[in-house]
Amino acid sequence: MSFKIPPAVGLAARLIVGGVLVYAGATKAAGPSEEFAIVIGSYDLMSKDMVLTAATFLPWAELLIGWALILGFQLRVAAAAAGALFAAFLFALINVKAKGIELPNCGCFGDAIHFTPVQALLFDSFLVSLCFLAWRSAPASWSLDSWAEGGYTGLTHGK
Amino acid sequence: MDRLTRVILSAVLVLAACVASFLLARGTRKPFSSEAPAYRSQGPADAKVTIVEFSDFECPACRVAEAPMRALLKLYDGKVRLVFKHFPLERMHRWARASAVAAECAGKQGKFWEYHHELYDNQQEWSSEKAEERFTAYAKKLKLDDAAWQACRKDPAANDAVSADAKDGLNAWVGSTPTFFINGKRFVGAMQLAERGSLWVDKELKK
Repeated sequence: MSFKIPPAVGLAARLIVGGVLVYAGATKAAGPSEEFAIVIGSYDLMSKDMVLTAATFLPWAELLIGWALILGFQLRVAAAAAGALFAAFLFALINVKAKGIELPNCGCFGDAIHFTPVQALLFDSFLVSLCFLAWRSAPASWSLDSWAEGGYTGLTHGK
Repeated sequence: MDRLTRVILSAVLVLAACVASFLLARGTRKPFSSEAPAYRSQGPADAKVTIVEFSDFECPACRVAEAPMRALLKLYDGKVRLVFKHFPLERMHRWARASAVAAECAGKQGKFWEYHHELYDNQQEWSSEKAEERFTAYAKKLKLDDAAWQACRKDPAANDAVSADAKDGLNAWVGSTPTFFINGKRFVGAMQLAERGSLWVDKELKK
């Protein structure tokens, strides 16, 4: 595929995905990991010993990837990581549906917003497509990558 | 400035943004009170370990957590204090608040724990049908003063006490029930309590 993503579309995609990840990561990282561990545990995808560790580190991964997207740092890697993260959430949600496990909510935003698994499924699918647009838009202007390379940032010229 | 310096500065900026957003979200946490009226606590007041439980009488997971909690209290009899806080999940459970108020009013007559046990032991019975009738039947079984108990249930003070606990729960970021705080350390659900609760109590008692 060789179609070009308009810069504004790429920027919008990474700001939306980055914003969602930062919000989701910050609310969960600041909240109690034991609470998030209950939600992860209910997906029945990992051992009990791993659950609390995942509940502690996953929000920080979301924060890191989210800010990398917003600020345009290692944009391709960040967009691919975000896409992989949402694809993993999608897999977990489908797995839950297939196993017939009843989740009270997806746990995506800690205690801040409660999505039903079906709402989360639709939302994650939308975000995966935005990750693809963000990935295709790299290298992008208005990004730290562009500044680091000494190129046009939208604010100033580099070298 | 060379490229490597710019890349390092960019990475530092991303990490700083992560920490700043974490601190910003953390700043929204509010202090909460773990206190409750004497009739809603059991065990010595000067116990080295205090367990604060946020619970909802209509929540099935809270009923499941009753067994490990009672086992824990038996194991550490005289060494642990339990404080019960109401956290009715009203969006999910129709009778959550009414049952909390009923227990609160039993507490005013010194029978909170007896009423608490009745509610959990018979949860499936009253949560499915005829809740009001069952609440009254439990009050009669425990020989509560019916007139005083009914008057208390209509008194806004009992409802306010439940609301105050629920607010404490929200301030403590309680997202689901039951949530336990053992000397401040959080355990969510029966499994976390059963698997790690006694280990933490042991650790705290050794301090």
